[in-house]
Amino acid sequence: MKLISLALVVLLGGLFMAATADFPDWGDPASPASVHVSPRYIEKTMEETSVPNIVTAVLADYRGYDTMFETAVVFTAGVACFLLLRRRDPRPGPERIYRHQATGVIVEMRHKPAKEPAGEVFARIDDDWVPHDLIIMNVCRLLIPFIQLFGLYVIAHGHHSPGGGFQGGVILGASIILLALSWDLRTAMGRLSEAATGLMSAVGVFIYAGVGAMCLAMGSNFLDYEALGPLMFVDPVHARSLGIFFVELGVGLAVMATMVLIYKNLASEGRLDQGL
Amino acid sequence: MTQHFPALLVTAPLLCALLVSIAGWLRPRLCLPIALVGLGVATLAATGMLAQVLTSGPIGYRLGGWDPPWGIYYFLDQLNAVVAAVVAWVALVNLAASHRAVQADYEDKQGPFYTLYVLAVTGLLGMVATGDAFNLYVLLEISSLTGYALIGLGPNRAPLSSLNYLFLGTIGASFYLLGVGYLYIVTGSLNMADLAELLKPLYGSLAVTTAFSLIVVGLWMKMAFFPLHAWLPNAYSQAPGPAASLLAPLMTKVMVYVMIRMMLSVFTVDFVGTQAVLQQAVGWLAVAAIVAGALFALAQRDLKRMLAYIVVGEVGYMVGGAWLGNRIGMTGAVLHLINDAVMTFCVFLAAGCIFQKIRGTAFEDLQGLFKKMPWTMAALAVGALAIIGVPPTCGFFSKWYLIRGGLEAGHWGFVCALLFSSLVNVVLFFRLFEIAFFEPMAEGNGHGDHHGHAPAVAIAEAPLSMLLPLMAAALGLVALGLATGPLVKYVITPVMPTGLW
Repeated sequence: MKLISLALVVLLGGLFMAATADFPDWGDPASPASVHVSPRYIEKTMEETSVPNIVTAVLADYRGYDTMFETAVVFTAGVACFLLLRRRDPRPGPERIYRHQATGVIVEMRHKPAKEPAGEVFARIDDDWVPHDLIIMNVCRLLIPFIQLFGLYVIAHGHHSPGGGFQGGVILGASIILLALSWDLRTAMGRLSEAATGLMSAVGVFIYAGVGAMCLAMGSNFLDYEALGPLMFVDPVHARSLGIFFVELGVGLAVMATMVLIYKNLASEGRLDQGL
Repeated sequence: MTQHFPALLVTAPLLCALLVSIAGWLRPRLCLPIALVGLGVATLAATGMLAQVLTSGPIGYRLGGWDPPWGIYYFLDQLNAVVAAVVAWVALVNLAASHRAVQADYEDKQGPFYTLYVLAVTGLLGMVATGDAFNLYVLLEISSLTGYALIGLGPNRAPLSSLNYLFLGTIGASFYLLGVGYLYIVTGSLNMADLAELLKPLYGSLAVTTAFSLIVVGLWMKMAFFPLHAWLPNAYSQAPGPAASLLAPLMTKVMVYVMIRMMLSVFTVDFVGTQAVLQQAVGWLAVAAIVAGALFALAQRDLKRMLAYIVVGEVGYMVGGAWLGNRIGMTGAVLHLINDAVMTFCVFLAAGCIFQKIRGTAFEDLQGLFKKMPWTMAALAVGALAIIGVPPTCGFFSKWYLIRGGLEAGHWGFVCALLFSSLVNVVLFFRLFEIAFFEPMAEGNGHGDHHGHAPAVAIAEAPLSMLLPLMAAALGLVALGLATGPLVKYVITPVMPTGLW
């Protein structure tokens, strides 16, 4: 069996290499990919969409329909993780560990207490807790707002510089994950609950598809942002630019929420009580 | 409004899938109604488009308002209009039947379940409607990803089967993507119609042949064409009932459609015709697929697994027919694609009904089932007759075209394999019916009385919400069979390229 596999791999590798002989030269300005559709994108993007970043225009306008489904793929991954991983049964093991907020003293309870200790004085912490690390926790606390600000900048500035909804959304999502790693999952859940992530990922894609449907409602083709001009009191070209901005917002929201949702489910074996 | 049908076909389910997801968090009871609305609109659009295409010819749709090849273009001719209609109808009817099964097993997760269900259909419909090779890949991702999740939700070893499917499916999809990448390198275009034009002068190029092989092999993996079928039997037999009766009929069939689309509209028959060695090889692979599917099916002792192996054989029918290289064979392949979607749906839904009542589909569980579930078994019998190929069910007609195509091409192996597989199907189903009809019900399965008489079996049918869709599917098999003439004349013949004789 291994021999057959090896033979197949060698055969396929040989075929691929032989096929490259028919490829245009590396970086050839006259290659088919450079002369067929690209010139229009390069020459006309600014006048047709008023977006200086050609990549953004191709991604979110000329081929915006693909990008809508790419966002839907991200959303699907989140829903799939939730569907397969999420479980409601309680974690085995009776210990429940609490930290006395004022002194940092750790209390372990062998049996479920009749009344949960008050949240103000005692806070429930993970089974595999580690002592407070002043430096890590505070550095992250200071960093996270700036990370999020940068994430918003990347989303908003996708028209002019490398960036956009996917990248910005990942940065935003990473900031929440950093919070979960440096503090704990409970803290992150307190900031962004499970239902919030689930709803935000759906709403994010809905913004994208909704902008498309709005164009349809205005009597134009799906995702033809020009139709939104009258709604926003701008000319059609500018409407394209704004339309791209709206869908990028949706992408950012969906990507952020989905990243957090997947992280929470993976880190806590689907129980969402405590994790990494 | 009618000119926006192509967009509605795909985006209405997408929007509704997102609403279902939101409802899953806020009002779980609304999930199923919203999903039904989404697929209902899609079905309406698909049916409307089929009528439109039949009366006034192919329709195109420029997404985002950009002309092809710069933007993404939907193009619907008779071929994909009819496939889209079949996909939409099957998915809608199956959704209507899914309520009880989902409630029984996945009560607390119906939001995500229905979200993924509707997204899967979105992906399938998009793949059928699109005229853009890369857009097709994106939608393939959607329907594959949802498929993995829905299958992995099943009991016992289903997650493992799903993982196996995920590995092979991802490799298959990557092959397709790599092939499209090759095409982009040599042509600079992704639009199918544009590609067909640009490829014409390049037919001798090894890069194009490689791209074609990559795309076709990738699609074979996704459609479980023997010997790349290993993921299918476990995945489809262990999936939850509603997911199995959605994916088993539609996923493989849509992949066959994509293969036919690639052969007819992107590479054209002029190119495929020059690949004589490949054509011969595929013909014999199809023979192997049909024979292997039949033999493996014979070895099974479980209804769902047996059906899964029958699907493997059926894929062989369609691939073989499409590669015979003549008009009748291709007609047979397309016709069988439509018919097989409905008949696989019928038998998988029947298996789902049986599982719903008996909680098992092993042959031992089926004893005496004709008395207990007469309507379900009647529908299963109709499905079985269609798979065997008994007139007037639709299976007979498509098989007839395939056999005629094989005869015309002089491919005796294919003809013999078809006949062999039909005979094996007879054995398979009559063995099943013998168990279900003559063998007495196992202890505790029926309600025996205490007076020494033969135990009286109470009829315990599947819920009406499952039974009615099942009846619709069974009737659809006969209706499709009776509609074969017009179907071939008005739908299939117009899309056969002139290169096929």
